Amino acid sequence: MAREFIPGVFWIQECGANLNDLAAAMLMGSHDWYRQGREIHIPQNAYLFVGKKTLLFDTLSPASSNQILTELSDILGDRPLDYLVVSHTDTPHAGNTFKILRAYPRATLVGPRYGDAHELYHLEDAFKVGEGDSIDLGSFTLKFHEATFLDAPISVWMTEANTGMLLPVDWIGMPHMDGECLKCVDELDTQVDADRLLQFHGRVFFWLQYVNAPKTIAEIGRINRQFNPNIIAPSHGLVIRQDASRYMDLMKDVVQSISDRGRVGVVG
Amino acid sequence: MGVDQGVRPTIKLSPGVEWINECYPTQGRHEHVSVYLIRTASGYIIVDSGSYYHRESVRSRIVTATGQRGLGAIILSHADYPHSGNVDAFRREWGEIDVIASSGVPELQGLPFAKKSKIGGSLDVLGRKFSFIDPPLADRSHTSWIYDHGSRFLFTADGMGNYHHPGQCALTFGEFPGGVPFSDIYEYHRTALAWLRYVDSARLRARLESIYAQFDISFIAPVHGNPIAVEHLGAFMDRLIETANRIANEYEVPT
Repeated sequence: MAREFIPGVFWIQECGANLNDLAAAMLMGSHDWYRQGREIHIPQNAYLFVGKKTLLFDTLSPASSNQILTELSDILGDRPLDYLVVSHTDTPHAGNTFKILRAYPRATLVGPRYGDAHELYHLEDAFKVGEGDSIDLGSFTLKFHEATFLDAPISVWMTEANTGMLLPVDWIGMPHMDGECLKCVDELDTQVDADRLLQFHGRVFFWLQYVNAPKTIAEIGRINRQFNPNIIAPSHGLVIRQDASRYMDLMKDVVQSISDRGRVGVVG
Repeated sequence: MGVDQGVRPTIKLSPGVEWINECYPTQGRHEHVSVYLIRTASGYIIVDSGSYYHRESVRSRIVTATGQRGLGAIILSHADYPHSGNVDAFRREWGEIDVIASSGVPELQGLPFAKKSKIGGSLDVLGRKFSFIDPPLADRSHTSWIYDHGSRFLFTADGMGNYHHPGQCALTFGEFPGGVPFSDIYEYHRTALAWLRYVDSARLRARLESIYAQFDISFIAPVHGNPIAVEHLGAFMDRLIETANRIANEYEVPT
């Protein structure tokens, strides 16, 4: 079941895999946010914006094809899907692209203009977007940005101008426990601290172990100043809608920690 | 299963490893989207499956190289489409052959039938030992570099690559006059691995050298570059580290 976490913006979440290895790892150390015996999820999120026009940002993974199609049908009813934005070509983000386009054949496929060889990802005919491009849905204005912290070179970040929402895709993800699915961070009984963010980024952003930490931390400061978000809607975590810049700043500690200690593990 | 008499032959890199050197033209140059074929006593294994874009060519070259026996297993460095784009087609053609997925959750990668490898671990595939290595040069988090203990090949997925130009598609690094030029190594990594703008090249070099010390390597086999015999690894490394330094030095965090 999707959640309309602000009027007109629906959060569709896939929490399929119980990450037993991650839960076991949490029991080995001191992690204030984790409660023994609870399942751990690292979700895939898709976000549906419903204004005068409609736009879906990412598609969930192929393991949840039925879920995304059902959610779209339940929310949109007879309305069309006007835009499908693929943030990048990783399967958990783009894996249902063609199933959605078959269900909504009039939707415009929107993809990143960055990187090259788009044809190898079936994006050669997509409407390409990047820094300076925007889509007006009526009550929402989506703007596109070069992805600062990313995996695939064909990637794009998005902001929504009226709400001050940043959708940083793989950045600022975090694990959550059973019972916390589709909750915003301000609704949790547990903390989202640097350690919780580390458990995601220390597995996914493995390359942070090879970076110049001061330079990377300076970049975090820059994007915090650039976006100054009110809301952060990540692809692999819970929505942050209060004190968002504080969580951006926490990422400086996360980068320093990965730089000091290396990769903390893998997802799965 | 038909065999096209006009099929390009695979390129023999060692007695048991052949290179299926497919290319994609991009921005006036070529990028390899390669597949490697390993012959074992129990059957044939490919490392990565190639792109849908080259499907028929890869299939035909496998059919010819294996004497129509086909595949016994597929090992994936990761599930990015140019690496995993032919898994379903090859399973339809050669049956429910073993598919070894990289670390991560195979179901989320569209590979619910795959066996998962573990970074830092080893697996026996068709009687052959393969080790799975935390990759210092990669984009996706679920990528593994793969070491074949039989051939001593290190398969480096998106890392250690380079662009090349028409006429260079079938060359190994050592067959270029002077080796693959720095500019082609630099341009590839600048495009493919955007995070190198933050890299500390000393850390990168240290990690690569620790892998070389741990594994007795005969060949480096990238998916997006010309293979590198170990006697040329020093020359490649000099250009790679220069690449990392240049990419990092060219990017200053805006104030």
